[in-house]
Amino acid sequence: MEKAKISAKQLFVLVVLFEMGSAILVGFPLNLKQDAWVAVLLGMAMGVGLFFVYYRLFLYFPDLPLTSYLEKIIGKWPGRIMAYFYILYFAYLAARVLRDFGELLTSTIYTHTPLFFLMSLMIITNAYAIQKGFEVIARVGELFFVVVYLMAIGGFFLIIFSGLIHLENLKPVLESDWIQILKTTFKGTLTFPFGEMVVFTMLLPYLNQAKKAKLVCISGMILSGINFTIATIINITTLGIDLFMRSPYPLLSTISRIQLFNFIERLDVLFMIYLMIAGFIKVAIFYYAAVAGTASLFQFKDYRTISLPIGILILLTALMIASNYTEHIREGLDIVPIYLHWPLQIIVPCLLLVIAFFRNRRKQSKEAAS
Amino acid sequence: MSILTKMLKKKQVQRKNDNFRQKLDHSIPGELLIHKDYQENISRIKGELGNSADLGIRELKIGPYQGALLFIDGLVDGKGINEFILETLMDKKVPIEEFDLFQFVLDQTVALGSVSTITNWNELFDKLLSGCSIILLNGCNKAISGETRGGETRSIAEPTQQLSIRGPKDAFTETLRTNTALIRRRIKSPNLWIESMKIGRVTQTDIAIMYVKGIADEEIVNEVKQRLNRIDIDAILDSGYVEQLIEEQTFTSFPTTYHTERPDVVSSQLLEGRIAIVADGSPFVLTVPAVFVQFFQAPDDYYSRFDLSTSVRMLRILAFFIALIGPSLYIAATTFHQEMIPTTLAIAIAAQRENVPFPAFVEALIMEVTFEILREAGLRLPRAVGQAVSIVGALVIGQAAVQASIVSPVMVIVVSITAIANFSTPVFAMAISARLLRFALMALAALVGFFGIMLGLIVMAIHLCSLRSFGVPYMSPVAPFSGENQQDVFIRYPIWALKYRPRHIARGNIVRTGENQKPAPPKHGNSHESDDTKGN
Amino acid sequence: MNSFIRIFMLLIIVIPLLGGCWNQRELTDLAFVMALGIDKGTGNEKYDVTFQVVVPANVASSQNGGSGGQGPPVVVYKSSGNNLTEASRRATKKIPRELYYSHTSIVVIGEDLAREGILGVLDALDRDPEFRTTTVVIIAKDRKAEDLISVITNLDKLPMNRFIKTLEATEAMLGENIKVTIDDLLQGITSSGKEPVISGFIMEGSTEKGTSPQNINTTKPPAMITADGLAVIRKGKLAGWLDYNNARGAVWLMNKMQGTDIDFNWNGIKDAVSTTPFLSNTKVAVSIKNGKPFANINIETAFKLSEINTDFDNEDPKKIEVLENRVSAQIKSEVESAIKQVQEYKADIFGFGENIHRNHPKIWGEIKHDWGNQFANMDYQINVKSYYRESGLRGKPFWSDLKK
Repeated sequence: MEKAKISAKQLFVLVVLFEMGSAILVGFPLNLKQDAWVAVLLGMAMGVGLFFVYYRLFLYFPDLPLTSYLEKIIGKWPGRIMAYFYILYFAYLAARVLRDFGELLTSTIYTHTPLFFLMSLMIITNAYAIQKGFEVIARVGELFFVVVYLMAIGGFFLIIFSGLIHLENLKPVLESDWIQILKTTFKGTLTFPFGEMVVFTMLLPYLNQAKKAKLVCISGMILSGINFTIATIINITTLGIDLFMRSPYPLLSTISRIQLFNFIERLDVLFMIYLMIAGFIKVAIFYYAAVAGTASLFQFKDYRTISLPIGILILLTALMIASNYTEHIREGLDIVPIYLHWPLQIIVPCLLLVIAFFRNRRKQSKEAAS
Repeated sequence: MSILTKMLKKKQVQRKNDNFRQKLDHSIPGELLIHKDYQENISRIKGELGNSADLGIRELKIGPYQGALLFIDGLVDGKGINEFILETLMDKKVPIEEFDLFQFVLDQTVALGSVSTITNWNELFDKLLSGCSIILLNGCNKAISGETRGGETRSIAEPTQQLSIRGPKDAFTETLRTNTALIRRRIKSPNLWIESMKIGRVTQTDIAIMYVKGIADEEIVNEVKQRLNRIDIDAILDSGYVEQLIEEQTFTSFPTTYHTERPDVVSSQLLEGRIAIVADGSPFVLTVPAVFVQFFQAPDDYYSRFDLSTSVRMLRILAFFIALIGPSLYIAATTFHQEMIPTTLAIAIAAQRENVPFPAFVEALIMEVTFEILREAGLRLPRAVGQAVSIVGALVIGQAAVQASIVSPVMVIVVSITAIANFSTPVFAMAISARLLRFALMALAALVGFFGIMLGLIVMAIHLCSLRSFGVPYMSPVAPFSGENQQDVFIRYPIWALKYRPRHIARGNIVRTGENQKPAPPKHGNSHESDDTKGN
Repeated sequence: MNSFIRIFMLLIIVIPLLGGCWNQRELTDLAFVMALGIDKGTGNEKYDVTFQVVVPANVASSQNGGSGGQGPPVVVYKSSGNNLTEASRRATKKIPRELYYSHTSIVVIGEDLAREGILGVLDALDRDPEFRTTTVVIIAKDRKAEDLISVITNLDKLPMNRFIKTLEATEAMLGENIKVTIDDLLQGITSSGKEPVISGFIMEGSTEKGTSPQNINTTKPPAMITADGLAVIRKGKLAGWLDYNNARGAVWLMNKMQGTDIDFNWNGIKDAVSTTPFLSNTKVAVSIKNGKPFANINIETAFKLSEINTDFDNEDPKKIEVLENRVSAQIKSEVESAIKQVQEYKADIFGFGENIHRNHPKIWGEIKHDWGNQFANMDYQINVKSYYRESGLRGKPFWSDLKK
């Protein structure tokens, strides 16, 4: 493990940027029409619940990342195999995020540019950050947090002053039934983005004040959840339900509608800046988790040795996971949540917690007996 | 990057084993004592200096005893030698009884503030070559050195690089002692400590490390000393040499040490807990550790009121960004994101570019390079010619190039705005890094438009965040963010509210201002009136 | 480790070479399409499409840049196809540059095509990343879109600005037209409880003269573009037009009124008093009464007196009350007649259906399939309240002095 220490503030910033990350660009539960925001809020609430599982695990092993304490909980070899799966999972998620951004760029602004080219530029930037270490990523996060927030606030006021918000678009509230909403929450918003907090089990040991982990992560999740909800509501109220449902990137459509004083218009570039920053941070975190996990599993002295091969792996995976955009989105909506997110975000951590709990109790009772 | 550093390291090891180096060294063995016969000593000195013409030798007769006065012409204050050594030596009546000649001369005849005894050759040459006078006495295997440094030096003048509207107008000179005095004059505290050392095998340059004891971080002070001690080089001709030898990272375009020619700036930085490195022969004083935001703080900021200086500082940061991304924005907008430009402007630019044969990137490159050449030439040219060149340059860039359809008028505007914005960064070293990076960003913009610019900026951010200056993160106090150190970053708080020294640099004695420093009108509305009523 | 770094560096060096510049287009390689005209095809193809392309050198006031052109600011190309993409790609046979739609600010649809149905052209405009959905749509009344697009105008060098600015001016001052973007149009078309409207434009004068420089070299242009009426669209087809007061009534009801003038007779003189409402707000609540939808419409407006051409004591509160009532009555009658006419078209441009959907989602589920007929037969009640605010720089008109 790298000898890095980050402060509570930095962790908070990373959580917020990571959670908002690509979700605000592509992760809207479109099938719920005007009730999408309910699913977002529900997802957030359940995500916070899920985070307590990760947090408990962290409390049992405050110095170890997930891939290391797996061995301690379920034994050496099963633990290593499981850790291996987690590393693949993180790398795969990094690839998915990378692909999301690549697709977004090629279908909106860089219509004639090959996907591979854009994605490789992005991964090179990320590889550079990984080389510099986790502390640097955290600091860059802090720097960009300010930029993102200033932009978000600016954009928010521009949308309001352009008179684009039609709150009546939210009506009728809760038209869809609860079963549908719950279904969407479990398949969508809980696992993406809130369940993705599982990656922070790899990063929590870097926090310099372990006590603050709970407060920081949960407040970060809540803040990002609120932002996500606001973004959902703004998109719905601006675009109207029909357009909202037909847009693969609702936020882009919303921003491109801003027209103020006849010259503040065509602000797609704001969107692009956000896209780059959010994409960078999100890929960097998954990428770093995969690299750090591999380094600890295969006992590399310096994780930097393997950062570039894993980067290339992520790039190639991103290129190969789907042959077109539709396939990519279908996988993300139907297959990944059930076969990857559910087991690795929910089932395995919960099982781990149960096992760790009993083992710990046995240990404690032994200690008490002796 | 690491390949390069490795290669450099290998070469360094080789060079250490090289015997060639030794020949350049001061080759006089230090242990050797001074000979009793003064004539022998003189001839030895003459021999070592190769009979250099500026070696002055004055034979002396003190009663029955013989001796000689040696000095380097031009380095010494001639009047001082005449008055305080020669006159007193010659006037003195030598007592007849047995006595210690050496002690007599040392104690009673040399009327100088600083006198010392020299026993070995090394010391003798050091003193002699740094402007002291040496008195050799026949029969003594010791020598006397008197502090007679003087000669022609530049006097204190106004700063030429870092100008300010308000504030002190003196600047450092090439003389170390003058420079330290300029600082000492401002900080009259016994806690201002000066430590000195000599660096440069051949030049033997005096270096002084200054810091305020109790404010500066001892660890950083030690680190500075260590790094200075580590230096093994033949010559230090300017503080720039020192800078390049002690900075943390070579492969960066950002300065990680701060240099200034203003004593007031150095004083304020010393009081913030920084450490100043003064090199003899250089009017630029280095201060470390340096952080990014420091390069946007101009001395004026503190002398004028806070609202003004805050807005000016914001302007400077904006200008830095314009200087950095101005031309690349133009390239990206005109070749990739034409939808971003307002319709009428887009049409106007298109009309102007109609006859320009080059793509926007080449056009921008031509103009930027032309401008850089002009600027560089303007810097080197004799003053009389400079005027003419700038007129020609303005014509070439502004008028002729447009009429010849080599560039479009918009490009001229972009280049000039960029250039002017570049000059508003208070420290040249930071401005020049923006200049360099601008070209990289232009290439990226030509490649993939805004995506490229953003990538470039992200890489730049990563790089900046990874830099450290003497252990202090370069981007602090922004990243890592610390709320209590924001008093002098983007917003310059009113002087009374600048309560603490920057905590990421200073260690002890952190509080700057006392309680209740906020100016306020007296509590009883009109004090005159109340006085009057009391009187009655 | 070193080898990886070498690969890394190699990647960095090679990628730009691989790169090329796929999306890179110089400004001079682009043909800025300012306006797009879509007509019913005259030949075998479904659509005739006209592209109004700007000639930059002729627009920019040429001092240094450009050759200082003398020709018209725009040139119009025509092409045809069974869909927009086909037509646009075919057009490149005639146009020496790549067609660029990001700055297109207006789409003109010919009335023939509008009557037949405009659904076929909308997806291309909505989907294309270059094309802005904030582009304004208008219908060329009784004309081909081509005619409107080909006219060059004075006052605004770019003819397309003519449409936009005229629309904006009349929307703010007269309230008979509204600016409808592709977004609004699509929202209206896709929503089950709402139909869209589109502003109409007519051309006075002859096309031939309008396209020649003659049109801008005279103080009385022989061809003039004029905003005229609102087109009611039903299921993607032009159902009919709302003119003058009916159009204004519809705008009141859609809560889009920014300013207009309301005149009425006094002392037997026709339109003797003129008032200008400048603030207004319309609230609509639709409910079900007696098994039929029922709209309760409340309009509030504040107005100024702008002209009095007879003896009228505008400083008498009682008179003011009468004045307010007259204004209210006038507005009410306009709105009423607008609703009646729209009900004939069976196109719910006011969004009454959407209103039910939002407030009574369950009822909406039952009636939405037959909404057209329901709308045509629905009842409504209109309440108008108007408030007098001020009368300009003068008090009583000079007419009151003349009498003495």
